[in-house]
Amino acid sequence: MTDGRAGDLPERGDDGSLLQKPVDRRVALGMLLGGAVVGAQALSACSPLNGETPEEREVRVLAWQEYIKGNYRFMTEEERAETIARLEELATLKRREDVTIQSTGAQPGVVFGYAFNISKCQGFRSCVEACINENNLDRRAETQYIRIFEMTEGEVNFDLGDATFQHEVPAEGHFYLGTQCFQCANPPCTRVCPVGATWQEPDGIVVIDYDWCIGCRYCMAACPYWARRFNWSAPEVPAEEVNSNQHYLGNRARKKGVVEKCTFCIHRSRQGRLPACVEACPTGARVFGNLLDPDSEIRWVLEHKHVFRLKEDLKTEPRFWYFTD
Amino acid sequence: MVHLGPFIRTALTSATTGGRRYHLWMGALTLLMLVGAYAYSLQLRQGLGVTGMSDHVSWGLYISNFTFLVGLAAAAMMLVMPAYVLGQADFARAVLLAEGVAVAAMVMCLAFVVVDLGNPLGGWHLMPGVGYLNWPRSLLAWDVVVLNGYLALNLAIPFYLLYNRYIGRPPAKNQYLPWMYISVMWAVSIHLVTAFLLAGLPARPFWNTALLGPRFLASAFTAGPAFMILFLWFVRRTTTYPIPEGAFAKLALITTVAAQINLVMLLSELFYKFYWPTEHGINAKYLFFGLHGHHALVPWIWTAIGLNVLATGALMVHSVRQNVRWLMPACATLFIAVWVEKGLGLVIPGFIPSPLGEIVEYTPTWVEMGVTIGIWAMGMFVLTVLVRVALPIELGDARSPYLEQPSTVQGARPRATRERYKDVRPFRTR
Amino acid sequence: MKRTWVGVAAASLVIPGLTAGCRQGQPERSEQFPAGTVAVAIDSATAARNAAREPGALATVVADTAVGWSGQRPFEVASRTGGPEAGHSRLFGTITLPIVLRTRSPALTQYPCTSCHAGSRVTMAARRMPDVHHDIQPVHPDTSGAVCATCHAPEDASLLVLLEGKRAPMDQSYRLCAQCHFVQANAWAGGGHGKRLDGWQGRRVVMACTDCHDPHHPAAQSRIPFRAPVIERIRSETP
Repeated sequence: MTDGRAGDLPERGDDGSLLQKPVDRRVALGMLLGGAVVGAQALSACSPLNGETPEEREVRVLAWQEYIKGNYRFMTEEERAETIARLEELATLKRREDVTIQSTGAQPGVVFGYAFNISKCQGFRSCVEACINENNLDRRAETQYIRIFEMTEGEVNFDLGDATFQHEVPAEGHFYLGTQCFQCANPPCTRVCPVGATWQEPDGIVVIDYDWCIGCRYCMAACPYWARRFNWSAPEVPAEEVNSNQHYLGNRARKKGVVEKCTFCIHRSRQGRLPACVEACPTGARVFGNLLDPDSEIRWVLEHKHVFRLKEDLKTEPRFWYFTD
Repeated sequence: MVHLGPFIRTALTSATTGGRRYHLWMGALTLLMLVGAYAYSLQLRQGLGVTGMSDHVSWGLYISNFTFLVGLAAAAMMLVMPAYVLGQADFARAVLLAEGVAVAAMVMCLAFVVVDLGNPLGGWHLMPGVGYLNWPRSLLAWDVVVLNGYLALNLAIPFYLLYNRYIGRPPAKNQYLPWMYISVMWAVSIHLVTAFLLAGLPARPFWNTALLGPRFLASAFTAGPAFMILFLWFVRRTTTYPIPEGAFAKLALITTVAAQINLVMLLSELFYKFYWPTEHGINAKYLFFGLHGHHALVPWIWTAIGLNVLATGALMVHSVRQNVRWLMPACATLFIAVWVEKGLGLVIPGFIPSPLGEIVEYTPTWVEMGVTIGIWAMGMFVLTVLVRVALPIELGDARSPYLEQPSTVQGARPRATRERYKDVRPFRTR
Repeated sequence: MKRTWVGVAAASLVIPGLTAGCRQGQPERSEQFPAGTVAVAIDSATAARNAAREPGALATVVADTAVGWSGQRPFEVASRTGGPEAGHSRLFGTITLPIVLRTRSPALTQYPCTSCHAGSRVTMAARRMPDVHHDIQPVHPDTSGAVCATCHAPEDASLLVLLEGKRAPMDQSYRLCAQCHFVQANAWAGGGHGKRLDGWQGRRVVMACTDCHDPHHPAAQSRIPFRAPVIERIRSETP
């Protein structure tokens, strides 16, 4: 070959192309090494390895452990306790929030049912406000799980329903119908999730493991009631408005790129309390309870009132009935 | 296995060697890929909010392109099947190129799925073993399996063929022919699975029809061979690779018949949705005629249908198919028409109006378009590289240096680096 | 159990003290809590606030455990339908869970009525003049001919008039309302009308009719709703 002096090498390759220009081996090696040294310095100058507080290190370690964990559905009790401890710690370190995340399981002998009185609903949207506050919904994107539709008297027709009304309610000639996740007994959303990040719990609540969700949004396409919401950007909740009573499968802090939805306030209902929407409704239009309890109000409504559900023909078996006075 | 190293080196050399036009092309593609990468970095940092998608229209440009490209990949089968199953010699030459197109299309499909994910770092959750793949219940899990399988098939079979030619050994038919047959069936399945992914949702009446799967196949076999015609014509013009006229004629016939079937299916859908309109046809009403003052997609779909009808009509004329001057524009028109109809005219209207009757229209943002262009550029890049690797081997210009070549080799001692590849002639262009 | 008793003790001490400020110099309300009254702790500020319909309401409400819920009927009313029970009193529901009825009287600012009304005479100190309810214009049960005596007992203003000459205390207003609104009362007893104040499990703590419905003007009040949803997605700042 050549003796290594750059001047001896032709300026172009055999076929005239620049890329074929021969480069002396030693020169090339020197340039590579020099580039590597410069690059390493640049990297170390702006990398977090260059001075990290113990807090930042803790956050990094916890975040890594959270990243490699498995699907909550298949975790043991121990693993669940561990992940919850990590999440509570991360909330304190990253957002200075003191939260309690429950992992309360379903009570045996309980299946939740919900009834909505379309004669009583006046369109106040008190339920919407309560839900936003209770579930730490994104204030920037104004996420709302509950939608109240102002419908014209005479038919349940969503083509003509309007959820954007903002006038004195109730309006003459209209009735009000609210939707949210119906926690279907035969949910199409859980079947389509490719990673099994959403499933139905024994008490009927369809839940999502936000850390397992990959954000493909197939479940959103599959839901016939438009119940699911996606975090298109990182959700923001003002620190003073955060509800610190949280559940792993419910209203804990979500991240961008994952799906969320109404969980019948799982952090409340599994403690025997009513969901926020039921409590907040001033007219008593919402009824909630245990379908397996023959003495519950929800059972009374189903047995004594004329009830209907939306899109019955799809066989999703929603656990959310509508009735009139 | 001693030939593997030289094979890879030869491949790299073939891919990086070329004239000015070649480097300009690759440079342009690289630039577009960098634009796409920058756009994607914005999306990674700020979330999918930088796109035009919303809770109502939760799938947009990315999944539209994905749907279309799965069809393109499946259409490679349209060459494999006649070549190997039906023994049509005309197609034999084009098979490898078709498989290259399939690989490039698959890579683009997988890329579109990844950029559409809200949590792409969680992609490992899909892997059975470390994660959880909800197979067989989720059609998306099926799609993950079949798409990766198809990619593997279309990488493995050509690799086998090329490698054997590279080392001067005739490929054993009993080794690769069964896989060819499997890939034919697999090609149909990838597009059916993608169709079922959409058709299996009772929440979306626009997609929830039995005809969606057949429509997908028909439009795939319209756009795929049309693209192959354009691509093969380009290869024939710019290289010495021989592609017989018969291949073009037969591909054109396949495209025309598939385009006709596609139009018949479209007619069937239009009749079903508009002869006795029900609530289930409201998405179609939005797409074709607008709804409550919203009509963003109406000009697009009618343009697509118009171009489709025009191109199909032209291709039905025998002399058009024979004349390259008319065949190429007709195929290009057909390709674009199917892209618009299958991309914008299928995925987006499925979401408008929402299941609760709300209408939110969709406009892709610059970030979305940047990422899309970047991925298309990446696909073209992959295709170019694959073709540049495959053709010298197919033409006989590239052979393993360890083969016995009486004119140059001196025993079995490996030669010095520069001389070892003296026999690899640069990619011959006209 | 212990906590309930502490709650009862605390409530019985706290409530009179807190409500004393509302009534300036009224006679001692010794009969305000009838026998069988218990204090029920509601652990939800929202429910309590909503239930009391006043800002800053007490978290602890005083409730009246309605007797005889198990197996016995809470109230009776004449049936208007011509069913098998025609001619007999139609009995309501078979509520087997104990229901706890929140008392209304603590929220009535001018209770007890006998502090001014003594039979058919009104005797009141000058300082009570602001309490005179000239403002009550009953439109219910009908706009013509409805007078106070339609519902309020002339001999004791704090009692309500029922059919067949019976009387009911203010806390048991449901017995009066149910005489006409038996459909709603039936639903209320079963759970399809009104609200629960506690959770969905166990005993029901409910309110009587007048907690939500102003008996003199029961029609629902309209209001401006909480803000409407933004249908078009609020986008990020970057292009």
